[in-house]
Amino acid sequence: MENTEAIGEPLKLVLYIAGQTPKSVAAIENLERICASTPGRYAVEVIDLKASPQLAREHNIVAIPTLVRQLPVPIRKIIGDLSDKEKVLVHLKIGN
Amino acid sequence: MVAELRRRLDEAEETLRAIQEGEVDALVVRPSDRQEEVFTLEGGTASYHAFMEAMDLGAAAFDSKSRLLYANKTLRELFNLGVGIVQTADLQDALDDKSRETVTGLIRQAGEAKRTAEIRLVGGPQDLHLQVTAAPLRIGLDTGLAVTFTDITARVRGAAAEASERAAHSIIASANEAVVVCDLDGIVTHANAAVAGIYSGNPIGKRFEDVIPLVLLDTTGLLRASDLVALAVGGASVQGIEATAPEAPRVKDLLMSAAPLRVGSDKASGCVITMVDLSQRKAAEKQQLLLMGELDHRVKNTLALVLSISKRTASTEDTVQGFQSAFSGRIQALAATHNLLADRSWSSISVSEVIAAEIEPFIGQSQSRLQLEGVDALITPRAAIALGLVVHELATNAVKYGALSVEQGKVQVRVSLQEGEDFMRMDWLEVAGPKVAPPTRKGFGQTVITRSMQYMQNGGAELEYAPDGVRCSIRVPIEDVVNA
Repeated sequence: MENTEAIGEPLKLVLYIAGQTPKSVAAIENLERICASTPGRYAVEVIDLKASPQLAREHNIVAIPTLVRQLPVPIRKIIGDLSDKEKVLVHLKIGN
Repeated sequence: MVAELRRRLDEAEETLRAIQEGEVDALVVRPSDRQEEVFTLEGGTASYHAFMEAMDLGAAAFDSKSRLLYANKTLRELFNLGVGIVQTADLQDALDDKSRETVTGLIRQAGEAKRTAEIRLVGGPQDLHLQVTAAPLRIGLDTGLAVTFTDITARVRGAAAEASERAAHSIIASANEAVVVCDLDGIVTHANAAVAGIYSGNPIGKRFEDVIPLVLLDTTGLLRASDLVALAVGGASVQGIEATAPEAPRVKDLLMSAAPLRVGSDKASGCVITMVDLSQRKAAEKQQLLLMGELDHRVKNTLALVLSISKRTASTEDTVQGFQSAFSGRIQALAATHNLLADRSWSSISVSEVIAAEIEPFIGQSQSRLQLEGVDALITPRAAIALGLVVHELATNAVKYGALSVEQGKVQVRVSLQEGEDFMRMDWLEVAGPKVAPPTRKGFGQTVITRSMQYMQNGGAELEYAPDGVRCSIRVPIEDVVNA
């Protein structure tokens, strides 16, 4: 049986990073690994706040790296380098 | 509203916890009067980025999990990585399987100590040789790795060129052929050891045509040694020209080839002349020509002899059977001497051998019926053939009418050399045979006996039909006696 969550609209995620700080790089790679395990489930946008700091305003970002689940609402934020995969998956789950 | 406040409070607490636990390394600060700014914690990255950019070799920083943190401009250019953010995968994609394995292994091991390896990048306009060094590096709060890529292509190329030059030198040095290299002006710049066979001094620095004064064969005097050099320097390749070097110490017959010397560019920078020693081949050719002439001469002589034997036998025999028997007997006698000569490669053979070969068909191996006395001299093929025919006729006659026609009859042969005489004497004496009467008519056999040795003035034979046995005194010209 297919997981019902896997078929609907992809979850829209935004990852905020600051250039190539170690945590930013780690967050990108960890997120890629998570996305690769369920292809098509996530639509990811990466925003480099080092290049355009004003974009932090939209989601009120303070700490970097931060992953934002933009859709579906309500918005969820996960702070850190996303190395704890289980914790990330729990936060991203719909209805949480 | 309360829910919203609670959510924001949760978020603030989470942010604080994340900062405290070191899960973030950058913060967004919003000064009231200005736009947002991003501060990286510990300030580490900016300083090491600046440091890496200042390096003129390719440099990259990896975190403790082997993730690429930063690649400097030189490295991005080296690997054609573009200007944006470079990720671990981009760098990996820029390497082929072998190089990737080398670099990955290096990064894995370098956590303990500095490691170095070499890789090769293919696919670009030219192959790149890189020396990769990985060493531990402290980045902010973390430990990571600094990896540098140094372009050593020029050094590798230089070493390869040097090795190939050494190889070229040793090839020239170990060639069996004499090899001379000249510059554009025809001055000898290199010469290998084999050149010593053609020129005894040091040829370096001298003009080629002065070192080796060659006479080129089959070129009607138009082509000279200096022209060979000029042709090769001009870009033409000349091959297989025979030449002689009359003044050469050892090797005088040569096979010459000349070709332009091209080093790197298309334009000739000199020429290479090789000279193969033809002395042995020339000697063999001469020997072969000599042998062919000799063979031709012998075949003609033999045919003339056979023709004359046939004609004379026919004129003295009355029946076809008689002719057949006499003719084949004489041809066999000729063949017996020929066989002996062929066994000795047509050098001289001994008198006793000739006599034994001719008499054997009549008396078999029986030693008692033939007594051979005196010296056993070596005679030339010419004398051997004539003597063979004479002995054959004497033996035929002895078997038909003389001593060999009865059981107790014998033949004595005595060979003697007297000082002051210009011939070697051979006496044929038949004993214990029937009473001899001179033949009623003179046959060809008699002619053969008396005339065969007369090819020279001091040669000949006298036949005497004495009643108690045939006697024959044969003179072999001293010129044809090789060794007594």
